[in-house]
Amino acid sequence: MALGVDIGGTFTDFVLVAGGVLSVHKVPTTPSDHAEAFLQGMADLGAAALQGPLVHGTTVATNTLLERKGARTALVTTKGFRDVLEIGRQARPSLYALEPTKPAPLVPAALRFEVDERIDYQGAVLRPLDPDSLSPLVAALKAAGVESVAVCLLFSFLTPDHERAVAAALQAAGLPVSASYLVLPEFREYERTSTTVVNAYVSPVMGRYLTHLEQRLPAEAGPLRIMQSNGGTITAAAAKAAAARTVLSGPAAGVVGAAYTAGLSGFRDLITFDMGGTSTDVSLVPGRLRETNESVIAGAPVRLPMLDIHTVGAGGGSIAWIDAGGALRAGPESAGADPGPACYGTGDHVTVTDAQLLLGRLHPDQFLGGRMRLDSARPARLLEALGSRIGLDLMRTARGVIRVANANMEKALRVISVERGADPRRYTLVAFGGAGPLHACDLAEALGIPRVVVPPHPGVLSALGMLAADVMKDYSRTVMWPLPEPLGEAFSRQLAAGFRDLAARGWQEMADEGVSRQRVQVLPALDMRYSGQSFELVVPFDDLSTSDLMGRFHAAHKERFGYSMPGEPVEIVNLRMKLLGAVQRPSLPREAPSGPDPTAALLGERTVWFNQPLPSPVYERERLHAGNVIVGPAIITQLDATTVVNPGWTGRVDPIGSLIVERSNG
Amino acid sequence: MPLDPIELTVFANLFASVAEEMGVTLGRAAYSPNIKERRDFSCAVFDAEGRMAAQAAHIPVHLGAMPHSVRVARERHSFGPGDLVIFNDPYLGGTHLPDVTMVSPVFTPIDGAEVLLGFLATRAHQSDIGGMTAGSMPVSTELYQEGLIIPPLKLLEAGRPNQSLLELIYRNVRTPRERAGDFAAQMAAHRTGEDRLREIAVRYGPAKVVEAFDAVMAYTEAATRMALRAVPAGTYEFEDRLDDDGVSDEPVVIRVAVTIADGELTADFTGSAPERLGSINAVLAVTQSATYYVVRCLTGDEVPVNDGCFRPVRVVAPEGSVLNPRPPRAVVAGNVETSQRVTDVLFGALAKALPGRIPAASYGTMSNLTIGGEDPYRGRPFAYYETIAGGMGAGPLADGLSAVHAHMTNTLNTPVEALEFTYPFRVAEYSIRPDSGGAGTHSGGDGVRRVYDFLCPGSVTLLTDRRRYPPFGLLGGAPGATGRNVIEQRGGDAETLPGKITRRVAAGDRLTIETPGGGGWGAA
Repeated sequence: MALGVDIGGTFTDFVLVAGGVLSVHKVPTTPSDHAEAFLQGMADLGAAALQGPLVHGTTVATNTLLERKGARTALVTTKGFRDVLEIGRQARPSLYALEPTKPAPLVPAALRFEVDERIDYQGAVLRPLDPDSLSPLVAALKAAGVESVAVCLLFSFLTPDHERAVAAALQAAGLPVSASYLVLPEFREYERTSTTVVNAYVSPVMGRYLTHLEQRLPAEAGPLRIMQSNGGTITAAAAKAAAARTVLSGPAAGVVGAAYTAGLSGFRDLITFDMGGTSTDVSLVPGRLRETNESVIAGAPVRLPMLDIHTVGAGGGSIAWIDAGGALRAGPESAGADPGPACYGTGDHVTVTDAQLLLGRLHPDQFLGGRMRLDSARPARLLEALGSRIGLDLMRTARGVIRVANANMEKALRVISVERGADPRRYTLVAFGGAGPLHACDLAEALGIPRVVVPPHPGVLSALGMLAADVMKDYSRTVMWPLPEPLGEAFSRQLAAGFRDLAARGWQEMADEGVSRQRVQVLPALDMRYSGQSFELVVPFDDLSTSDLMGRFHAAHKERFGYSMPGEPVEIVNLRMKLLGAVQRPSLPREAPSGPDPTAALLGERTVWFNQPLPSPVYERERLHAGNVIVGPAIITQLDATTVVNPGWTGRVDPIGSLIVERSNG
Repeated sequence: MPLDPIELTVFANLFASVAEEMGVTLGRAAYSPNIKERRDFSCAVFDAEGRMAAQAAHIPVHLGAMPHSVRVARERHSFGPGDLVIFNDPYLGGTHLPDVTMVSPVFTPIDGAEVLLGFLATRAHQSDIGGMTAGSMPVSTELYQEGLIIPPLKLLEAGRPNQSLLELIYRNVRTPRERAGDFAAQMAAHRTGEDRLREIAVRYGPAKVVEAFDAVMAYTEAATRMALRAVPAGTYEFEDRLDDDGVSDEPVVIRVAVTIADGELTADFTGSAPERLGSINAVLAVTQSATYYVVRCLTGDEVPVNDGCFRPVRVVAPEGSVLNPRPPRAVVAGNVETSQRVTDVLFGALAKALPGRIPAASYGTMSNLTIGGEDPYRGRPFAYYETIAGGMGAGPLADGLSAVHAHMTNTLNTPVEALEFTYPFRVAEYSIRPDSGGAGTHSGGDGVRRVYDFLCPGSVTLLTDRRRYPPFGLLGGAPGATGRNVIEQRGGDAETLPGKITRRVAAGDRLTIETPGGGGWGAA
């Protein structure tokens, strides 16, 4: 038995797997106290006394950053570098703004402190830290009333002694501390400082929230685990101290859920497409979850490994408008959940969802399983007025809104496929979120993607993903070692020792996670580059074998960048190690395929606009069976989503209930 | 048939993504930190007549200069499939020598024949292209000192590389392997762009693509004209100056008369200083770029960048002036320093027309620093180049940002830890310079203080400005503080250095650079 709980802006989603049965549930989110909806949903599902793991995806860290509502945080730096956080990389966010703006730094100037010390690039102490300087520092921080402190000294990843001494003094005085040598022991001081500050800023908020939640959870409930941005989980206790690792908690779970369900249907090379009301998350899964450590969240770099998810501010709620040059646009302004699209009955802005309704792809009586009736007259009036300004009739304007919205999505999908060197024609599009399955066929056509998979419960896929997520911990350290040639015994020993140090911390923390040593999978890797380059390439180092390490780097460079430079000096920049504790994946109910005829699920027929109006059958997803075949044009409705099967596409229901929609005739 | 308002958005997105995908390829595959980390490059797509259809710019100074390059390349060469032209000649389509430009055609099959669909161009700042100092950003007096001059030449002919040309180039630069990596990256970007544009032609048909080129340009032109119509008609004048040209102390006057009439803007720089011996001469392409940048700030980020941005704009700069010099004048600082002053005078003039919209002057200098020499610790020569941010001018809405790049550049800094891993000097301080922004209703942003300790002998080249004449405030706002360059020899006194100089340094010397703050807006 296991329960996944995903708290989103509008709904809190639940997926319960118990005795081979999968139950799905949605409860309105309770913004004043997220625990309310959490407990309500558990009660509704009869899962209060759940014995198995309880995995939680939370937006606490993200929202704390977006709303700038974190702890009153101070920063301690090396003397001369107090402004590192504000200077950043000295670039402005927008090239052509008359008065560009940047988000204010998370730590204001008055709370940035310096200590007189310096370590050089070889880890040698140039200027020792005066222990007597620490008590005035502690006093100043106390006087400033800070709730959390980030400490980031230059080159602390090589020699952490000074940072450790500062952190110890602060902790002894009762101040919560995030020290950079523990949070992210990697070079590039701005990114390390920013990551450490984010952790210091959000961890106290996360700590209070999780402690509160744990207190309210029934005593019998299983251990609470938290979804991280890297696609794995950690204990609540670990998340309280490392909240920066959870900034993409929900979206990461969606990718894991997409990879898991599509994998059950036999598809491994995926583009995930999660389109909601205000934003869309897309990610590339080339047979494995793909990570980046270059994320920027709410203007702050967070250099921890996260799934490589690209987010655009476009969704069903994106507002259609005419710009100054007379072009039709959609978004980035959104009607949000309140007032929502015009068809909800009160909004004065016409949105992508409204256009879908007018084109017949959504039905006024079948939205959210008929729980909410949509108003067609209001958006029709608004859209007609909009179209008349550019000389288009109602239906052309509605189709235009969809095309323009799709152009934005297509751009996002190109960013994570083509720009990452992947050919979309060899991938499967996994569509989920409330609006994903409405747009998926259009986008697949635009990008030449041959196949769309719509999982059984596209509206709660993140909650399901949490149950498929492994226990996962990432470790790294900058070493900047030139690769000797020939490699030699001494260097191999040095490398092995470096990994032993990383592993020592890892084994301890995996034990704290409750994963026994035999179950831990270790994935070492090296970040390497040609000496003088400023960009590192991750080279897997699975077998810890140094044999032909140089050759493997040249090959990896050639593959990724199109050229290599044999003979040029190479250096190892970072050691990396990922520890995995595999979980028992939830088994989804399977149904033996029956005949292709879907007539039993037919709700009726209506006219749906594609390039022209076409009579299209409408099916009810819940009544479709494995083996059923649906020839486009067709509409498939269900409680949490509507799927459009375009003309020229054919869908079939597979044994786990996923819809596999493919281009007809190949 | 013209494009409808829907196709307009769809194609504007498509063309922009071609340029952006080229940029991703170039940025990813480049070898040198200058391209990869500082992002000092741009990519653009042109139609068959050489009109720009889309640009992915990280660096505004490239904005209006790329169309020159394509025009010159087309004038000097006929293009077949697989051809690619390379050049950096500032007097033939370039800007300054480190910016190496490549131009290639895109053909698409129509009825069995390969037909010209358009052109692609990339420009990347190479961290060394030869010349009198490492890093090729010298205090020079003629173009020949600034590096190897490459006129437009075919680097690829029907896909075959011209090895002789490459060998000649590599023999004339200090870091040939780095150049090879960066050139490979630039060519890879051209292949990406070619694949993408051909794909679009297959999907929509070449005729539609040609129509769409026209339509997105017309659209941008209309939006630009509309933005200019919102500016009250009239002629507005402004004058400012560069401190000096690095050779004599005489200030360099930059003067403009901006005329707004009927949705068009004319920037007449008549009255600006005659061309000078020092390297602050800005070739016409740079002067135009700065002007287009200012107009684009009025139009807004939303409108796609293409030829339509340029059509309602006219730039007059008399030949032989510092803003339209003749060969073989030195030009390397024109691109980085004079271009900033050109934006200052344009905004100064426009502030008279739009007092409620235009911010005060920003720090107005890229504070270019090159450090080079022999690294005794690593046993190799080194050349390090960076630009240092300053304070932005305050505006009617808010205080100016501190420690950020403004106007014609937006390159990133090099992390102190990255720099110390690689070069024989340390950074002792990198901070915001307090109270350097001009006071006002809104105060100007503060400049930066950056302090370097040298660990071995070497040479330092500074191309900096606003060390004498501060960035102006507006509507009663105070000017920003001027910048300062100070050297302290080990055990000696501190000495203020001129703004533009090359000088030897010894181990133990300390260089402090303080960059200017931005001007204030409104009486305090």
